[in-house]
Amino acid sequence: MTKEGVQGATEEEEQQAQSKKALKKQQKEAEKAAKKAEKQAKLATEQQSADEDDFAKDRYGVSAMVQSQHKLDRVLVRVQDLSPEKADQLIWLRARIHTSRAKGKQCFLVLRQQQFNVQALVAVGDRASKQMVKFAANITKESIVDVEAVVRKVEQKIESCSQQDVELHIERIFVISQAEPRLPLQLEDAVRPDGEGEEEGRATVNQDTRLDNRVIDLRTTTSQAVFRLQSGVCQLFRDTLTNKGFVEIQTPKIISAASEGGANVFTVSYFKTSAYLAQSPQLYKQMCICADFDKVFCVGPVFRAEDSNTHRHLTEFVGLDIEMAFNYHYHEVIESITDTMVQIFKGLRDNFQTEIQTVNKQFPSEPFKFLEPTLRLEYTEGVAMLREAGVEMGDEDDLSTPNEKLLGRLVKEKYDTDFYVLDKYPLAVRPFYTMPDPNNPKYSNSYDMFMRGEEILSGAQRVHDPELLTQRALHHQIDLEKIKSYIDSFRFGAPPHGGGGIGLERVCMLYLGLHNVRQTSMFPRDPKRLTP
Amino acid sequence: VDEWLSPPSATNMALRELASLEKYLGLRKPNKYSTQGDKKTPVLQNNAAPPLVGLLTIACHLLKEAKRPELLGDSAESRAVVQQWLEYRVTKVDNCSKEDVKTVLKDLNLYLQDRVFLAGNSFTLADVLMYYGLHPVIVDLTIQEKEQFVNVSRWFDHIQHYPGVRHHLPPVAVLRNRIYTSRHH
Repeated sequence: MTKEGVQGATEEEEQQAQSKKALKKQQKEAEKAAKKAEKQAKLATEQQSADEDDFAKDRYGVSAMVQSQHKLDRVLVRVQDLSPEKADQLIWLRARIHTSRAKGKQCFLVLRQQQFNVQALVAVGDRASKQMVKFAANITKESIVDVEAVVRKVEQKIESCSQQDVELHIERIFVISQAEPRLPLQLEDAVRPDGEGEEEGRATVNQDTRLDNRVIDLRTTTSQAVFRLQSGVCQLFRDTLTNKGFVEIQTPKIISAASEGGANVFTVSYFKTSAYLAQSPQLYKQMCICADFDKVFCVGPVFRAEDSNTHRHLTEFVGLDIEMAFNYHYHEVIESITDTMVQIFKGLRDNFQTEIQTVNKQFPSEPFKFLEPTLRLEYTEGVAMLREAGVEMGDEDDLSTPNEKLLGRLVKEKYDTDFYVLDKYPLAVRPFYTMPDPNNPKYSNSYDMFMRGEEILSGAQRVHDPELLTQRALHHQIDLEKIKSYIDSFRFGAPPHGGGGIGLERVCMLYLGLHNVRQTSMFPRDPKRLTP
Repeated sequence: VDEWLSPPSATNMALRELASLEKYLGLRKPNKYSTQGDKKTPVLQNNAAPPLVGLLTIACHLLKEAKRPELLGDSAESRAVVQQWLEYRVTKVDNCSKEDVKTVLKDLNLYLQDRVFLAGNSFTLADVLMYYGLHPVIVDLTIQEKEQFVNVSRWFDHIQHYPGVRHHLPPVAVLRNRIYTSRHH
């Protein structure tokens, strides 16, 4: 036999073997397919019979998109109102699925509405079928549902929920808006205090991720509390000042000239010329005073084009500005502002305890302390306190941020207050329109206010005399042509006046003892962030 | 021998502290020192005997001259403790890195928790030399750090006010009250 012959024979055999193999394979595949079809058919019939068997199929499902088809006469109870007094009542409510956990014939849900949540339960029984429990368990987190349920008192407090004394036994559940299954961040991770759960390897969410997904981050209990408190600050500010006879004014934010130099202003194109975004409503407040409005305040955006990326700087923030005419001494202004601040602190303390405690859970801090009347220290006293603590600084040096913080600590230790006024700043470190001190020309009638050692307000008596104002402007080498209209405002009788501007975000941050102003700005703007 | 320097123009820290030690001990005539090597080790020329080399050797010699042997410890045990801290000063404190400084302060803070002086209840050479050695470190601490190492600060403040010790060094402000009471700032 030749080699080739041998090879041919083996090839033939091989082919035969291969065709046998293929046949077997085909047979197997056919069997498989048959089995699969059988199985599917069985499943389908099962499903059908199950659907037919599902006595609860009208009690759950995905609702049609709410397009205002019906005006349902249905009362939706708020989660925060679910208390033992409502026990055994059948109620409707709309909430988000915060978490869900299925366990055999039961499914536990935590339903959340703003910063409040309640435990709910779907269990197989005469109201809910197996299929309904399965459906409930499969609703994605953060979906919005309408639920009909009976309120039941519980034996043991539910520690993980805000409504600890009751739970809901769900009888109907409809999805109103479905959330995508993958969330960019988990709410539980976003409210976990620093360092907690580290052993279990649990995640915390860093600031940038939070801010990138602000809509979800704002749903956390902490964010909810922060911004409800912030709204409170604004309202207390308005109420207090209105009661004191102040008038709220609206000032333009697009201005033709920068108020204090031009270094830190945003330029915008304005038709054929350019304009600036206002760094403060300073000029307009003062013009209103010259126009006999006597006491004015203004709540609105303020822009700073400083390229500083710190924990307390934003490029756009909300300014709470005050300006008032006084009779003889600018301390009348200080007293008016400090009293307003004290009213705000008291209002927060008395009406926002829940919010404060909610924030404290994630970011613990000591309660905010203040004195009545507010402590007023002179700059020289502050410098003396710092020197005693070993800080070397000149009489007319400005306070550095670390020194400001240290002074805040020293003041807290000595006077037990987190809020104080530092009066009589050196004239050299203040803007040109600041009134010089009559007794010592090196100092000025200006002041800063501090919360927890950080500046929240800068203010002063303004120069209302056009001659002195011109002189001061020249001293600061300011182009008189650019501020002509400002100086001219004071030529036709200007009352002595003073004021100051507060940063809303800073006040909230420092009142709550937080560490980053972005936490108290809903959609923060800084040199590196323009979205969302 | 690299250079001859006489205090008070001395820029070398070891030489300045030896001069201060002399003053503290009340030695009438100031010695003349030189330094040797890259590390500027102090050298004392001794007329009758071979030169003395090294901070600790010279310091012990000065104590002998001043007839103040108790500054090296008044019992066998405290003498051992004093030697230990003197060694610690030249091996751990001198020329230590920024991270090492924190370790030194942490250890010392714990050690001084229940002691007035390094060797317990009496003032010794260990306190003087550790004070001189730590001075540049303590000067740079923030108030918050001084409060963090509160026992070191208390001891340091005590020694800098101990009659006759401070001499060439500027006083360091040490607050008597705690101002950083809460954990969160």
